[in-house]
Order: sequence, then structure tokens, then C-alpha cells
Amino acid sequence: MLTSLQDLYRHRALVGVLTTRELKARYRGSVLGFFWSLLNPLLMLGVYTLVFQYVMPNRSASMRPYALFLFTGLLPWNWLAASLTDASGALPTHGSLLRKILFPAEVLPLVAVLAQGVHFLLGLPILLAGLVLAQFGFFEGTVTFGLPLLQVPLLLVIEGLFLLGLGFFLSALTVHFRDVRDLLTTAIPLWFFATPILYSLKDLKPGRITGILKLNPVAPLFAGWHDALFFGRWISPAHWGLMTLIAVVTFVVGFAFFDRLRDSFAEAV
Amino acid sequence: MKRAVKGREVRAAAAAPKQPAVSVENISKHYRRWGKSRAFGTLKSAFLGRGLASSLTPSEVVAALSNVSFRVERGETFGVIGANGCGKSTLLKLVAGILKPTSGSLHVNGKVSALIELGAGFHPEISGRENVVINGVMLGLTRRQIEEKLPQIIAFSGLADFIDQPVKTYSSGMYVRLGFAVAVHLDPDILVIDEVLAVGDEAFSHRCLDTIREFAARGKTIFFVTHSLALVEELCDRVLYLEEGKVKGLGDPREMLAAYRLDVSGKEGARLAAEHTLDQDRLRSEPVEALPAIETAVASRVPEVSSDAGSESAGEHAPASSQPPSEESSAEVPPPVEVPRARRWGDRSAVITACRLLDASNAERYAFRSGDEIVVEIKATPNRPLEDVVVGIGLFTIEDVCVHGTNSDLDGFSEGVFDAPATIRITMPRCDLAAGTYLLDVAVHAKRGTPYDYWRGACRFRIDSPTQDVGLYRPERRWQVEGGLTWKPS
Repeated sequence: MLTSLQDLYRHRALVGVLTTRELKARYRGSVLGFFWSLLNPLLMLGVYTLVFQYVMPNRSASMRPYALFLFTGLLPWNWLAASLTDASGALPTHGSLLRKILFPAEVLPLVAVLAQGVHFLLGLPILLAGLVLAQFGFFEGTVTFGLPLLQVPLLLVIEGLFLLGLGFFLSALTVHFRDVRDLLTTAIPLWFFATPILYSLKDLKPGRITGILKLNPVAPLFAGWHDALFFGRWISPAHWGLMTLIAVVTFVVGFAFFDRLRDSFAEAV
Repeated sequence: MKRAVKGREVRAAAAAPKQPAVSVENISKHYRRWGKSRAFGTLKSAFLGRGLASSLTPSEVVAALSNVSFRVERGETFGVIGANGCGKSTLLKLVAGILKPTSGSLHVNGKVSALIELGAGFHPEISGRENVVINGVMLGLTRRQIEEKLPQIIAFSGLADFIDQPVKTYSSGMYVRLGFAVAVHLDPDILVIDEVLAVGDEAFSHRCLDTIREFAARGKTIFFVTHSLALVEELCDRVLYLEEGKVKGLGDPREMLAAYRLDVSGKEGARLAAEHTLDQDRLRSEPVEALPAIETAVASRVPEVSSDAGSESAGEHAPASSQPPSEESSAEVPPPVEVPRARRWGDRSAVITACRLLDASNAERYAFRSGDEIVVEIKATPNRPLEDVVVGIGLFTIEDVCVHGTNSDLDGFSEGVFDAPATIRITMPRCDLAAGTYLLDVAVHAKRGTPYDYWRGACRFRIDSPTQDVGLYRPERRWQVEGGLTWKPS
């Protein structure tokens, strides 16, 4: 597995050009091009502001302004959902590469996660702008804007590692079971509601459901995003430890699984 | 299973002298049969830490290659030939490192560039230039290396005017040209080529061939799979002949090609013989009554021979004439219909019961070498006593061009008296026909012209020839040169 990881590092140039290609190809032929990556989250934030500030305001005080609260969870969630969808289809989509040329398959899920990561990064300035505006009373409610934002890069790494692990796992599995992609279309929305994005776990009454929701492996991560971006709180070392552990274990298991099935790709894809 | 080949590491391996470029020992490749349990099987063996294919029973796998061994020396042009499905492409993918062998060991020394599918991985939405860069990086170059080579690649592809257009606007020929241009500029030690030169226009395919020749001249190793035997003969130093995943032969290209051609014509002969039996059975079970136009069948491929029997012009009207039924000979008959292949007509006064081809040793055969003796054997039975019988044969190419036609009358025999079953053999001691597939018409008719039984396409056979000469006729010949013309040693 270590040599496979070294291989992966050796292919960084390939990862680079393919990620760029993915991003370029995505907006090729559209007039606004890259601006869509900025525009999409901006419109999203606008719509949420409109809805939760004027159409249906009454939200719990701790989550006010709710549009920003929602947005801080939605951005990383969109990265997760899009990455996993893309990664799970990455090998079959590029089947001709695997069958016809000597191509390092592990590059493909990695590119999927990275390309979606770039979209996430382009959404972050919009979120920051929203947070700044909140300081000037643009939204109802207050948001602390300060040093806890420095935790964002680390959260990014942790989510990236988690997504890679799951992406490797799903992409290898999809080669043998195309069902995975269909399953994901159903599972991802379900998972969305099980993840503290629309709500905060701390606000829920303790009970069986809450207990189950806490088992969600990404629950600590999304609580972390809320802490760093919305509440302006420092994440506790125990919380960091838990998030890191989940991400590392997912990565190791996912990559090992992928590595184990690697030789079957060229034939089965 | 140990990973015998680790593609990228192979590339990095130093090209030490004296090592063969490719050495394959006892290599086998099994594919898993497609089935429901297949995927679970792979997962199970993955989890249990076994080899991905080792736990399969023989009924679950298809052996694409079994125990193949060979070495390709540095600088050699090595060809692989064989029928479709013999394992050529599998072997090539193993050498290229795309597939892993099920068992056996495979060592490749040097950087491999595989031309299996040109332009694999081009993204339709982005420009040719960007695709070249990405393709180059995919195939193992660094970004800087590929950017240095970019002008050469664009010049070679001849697509300078289109290079900044998205690849989706390219024609398939342009696509392949660009792919080929990238592949040959990778500067590999070993070039692996799979039947990719058939694409592109004439000029480009010449350029491809020139490039390959130039590679060979520079002492690079070429591993070459193709169906173009002429190309194999021209380019290869040694040839591996595969049959059903096993080595059938390895050595001199001419020998291997001859062996392959012989096997192919043998198989075609067997196929034709099988078809012949089927045809004969079908036509026998389909009685002559069932055939159209009994009395009026004068409108046939056998015009009246008797009108000017023996004269020169009658020669053109041998039973072999391929003209469709002529109108003037059947005034009150419905308009003539195109006579389909392998049909029979006639008034059944006599019936051909069998027709087959024999070789010099009297064995039934439907594949011959040019110049072989061919015997046409016709069995016929009269349904009433006849006193004016003529037996004829006609030889046609598959395109329905008459090659030869004759009958007993033209060959100088008088009318036949026919009152009991008979076997007629017509021996042609030397059939100097050019290579191709031929059809034989046989007929029993009245000297006046009335067909008793005309059987179109009664036999179908194949002629093979050692040379690829042109035309229908292949005379034996000798060459002599006097004076200032000499042939270069081949």
C-alpha cells in the first residue's frame, strides 16, 4: 500500500493536468465559464436569504441568520455529494483509458474529488463575504467573525482525506457493481438529512434518533464546519481527534480496498 | 499472485544491454466468464487476500493464452499473427502492462509505448493542443517534455490549422492522426502496435509506416500485431503464430506466414465442404419439381447449342454462359427473372444427383492450390431414356464472371445415350487459377438446348496461391534477365 501511495504521488503531474482539464471542460462553451463556480453559490445564498429571512423566518435563535448557517453546511456537503457521485463513476467513465493504455486508475477518483474541491474553494469567498456582510447587520442576527476561521484549511484536509477514502472505495466497487451509482442517488439525499446541516445536533432533544444521528461518520465534521465558520468557536482537541481518526481510517480502508482490486479493473471495467 | 509486471516501474528500469527487450515465460491469461456470481467472486477473493483469479474452477474461466513463452531481442521487429480470438491482443496488452498475467512471468526492459487505441483519453470538449499535453502526461512524459515536443507533434499530425479547436470537431481520421503523433513522439524503447495503421488516409498511413521503419532502423524494438500479412512479411524479423492461445510456431516470417495461410485455406476448405454438404442436402430434399418453369425453362443459362453446334460461336454459349434468361427464346413466358445463385431448373428428364470436387488422389476437397489437379464428379440419373444428352460445366468467380465453360459436345463427343444412372468425371490436370473463391455450374441438357437439369453454383471452392498476383489466370512462369538489370537481394 505504501508503494501504491508513492505511485500516486509520482503521478501528481497527471493529477494536475486532469483536474485542470476537468474544470476547463466543464465550462467550455458557456459564456460565463468559471464565473459559474462563483455564481452558483452566490445565487444559492441569495435564495436562502430570501426564503429564511422573509418567507419563513421563525428559526431557533442559535442558528440565526439561518441562511448563513445553512450555507456553511451546504458548501462542504455539495463537495461531498458531487465528489462521491463523480468518483463512483470515474472508472467506468474512463474505461477506455484503463483498457487501452497503461493508466494509473487511482488518479481518476482523486481527480474527481479534487475538481469538486476546487468548486468548493470558489464557493468559500462567497461565504466569507456573507459573514462580513453579517457584521454590518445585513442579516438578522449576529455572527462572530474572527480567528476561528483559521481552522478552515485543516477541516478542508480532513474532509478531503475522508472523501478520497470513500471515493476510492466506491469507484472500485462500481467497477464490479454498477448498482452503486443508482444506490448513491438515493443514499446521498437520505444521508443529507441525517447530517447536521439543516439543524445542529446540540439543539436536538437527546433520544434514540439523536443517538443514531451521532453515529453518522460525517456528523463531527459538519459540526466542525459550523463551529469554525458560523459560530466562530475553536474546535476542541477531542473533536479534532475524532474527525481525524474517522478520515484517516476511511482513507486507509478505502485505498487498501481499491489497491486490492486494482488488477481487475482493466478486465472488468 | 505476485505482481510480475509493475508497469510504471518497468518504464523506469534501466535499459541494460544484452537483456532481451521482452521475455515471456510460460505465461497464461485466463479471463473470467461473465456471470452473476462473477463480481461477488472477485470481492470475496479480494477480502480473503487470495489471488483475484486463482480460486476459480476451470469452468469459470476462459483461457485466452496458455503457456506462451518467447523472447523479443532488443532492436527486433516482432510480429504476432493468428486468427481472430487467438489471444494476440491479450498478449499485446500483457506486454504493454495493461493486463496482468494469471500465471507465468513477463519481463519488459525499457519504456513501452502502446499504440492500441490512438487518442484514448482525448477529451472532446477541449482543444487538440491541450489534449496533446494531457495525453503526453498520461503516457508518462513530464509536462515540460511534452511541451518541448509539442511543435514536432503538431507538425507530424498535419493538424496545425485545427490544433486549437476542440477535439469533438475533428473527423475520426484527424483524431487518430493526432493520437499517433503523440504516441510516436514518446520516444519509447519498445513500440507496441495493435492494428492501428489501417486508419487515416493513404498519405498518413504511409507516414505511419515510414515512422515504424525508421524506429526499426534506429534499433528500437517493435512488437507488432496485425492482420495485414503483407506488412508482417515486410517489417518483421521474427513472427509468433498463435492459435487458440497457444504458440503454433515461432520463427522466420515467411515460414510462419506460409503455415498460417495454409491453415486458413484448410479451414476455409473445411467450411466450404461443410457448406457444400448442406447445399447438396438441401437441394436434394428440395425436389426439382419445386423449381419453376419446367417446359419453358429453355430460357436458361443454356442457350441452344444445337443451332450451330461445333461452330466457334457456340463456344460462347456453353452452359457456362452467365446471361440471364433471354427474352426472345420465351415469347409467351412471363418476364425473365434474375436466376438466383444455387438454383436449379430443367424439365427433370434427367436429374443430377450429386456433384463434388476431388483432388488428384480422389479425395473430396473444396480448397486447392493454384495449379492443382481438380476433378469434377457429376452423378446423374435419367427419368426416361434419353438419346441427345450433353453434359456441361461452367466455372465462375464469386462476382459471376465466367472463367471457363465447356460441355461434352464442345469437347468433341456426340450426343449421349442415357438410360441408367451414371457418374461423369471431368479431370482438369492443372487449374492455373488465381487465388479466390469460385463457383461451378453443372448441367445435363439436350443437344438442342432444352435443359434437363441445370444446377447453378453446384460447388463452391477456393483457390490459394503462393503469390498475390492479379487477375483470374495464374500461368506458371519463369523470369530471365539479360543485360544491366539485377535484383537486389531480398
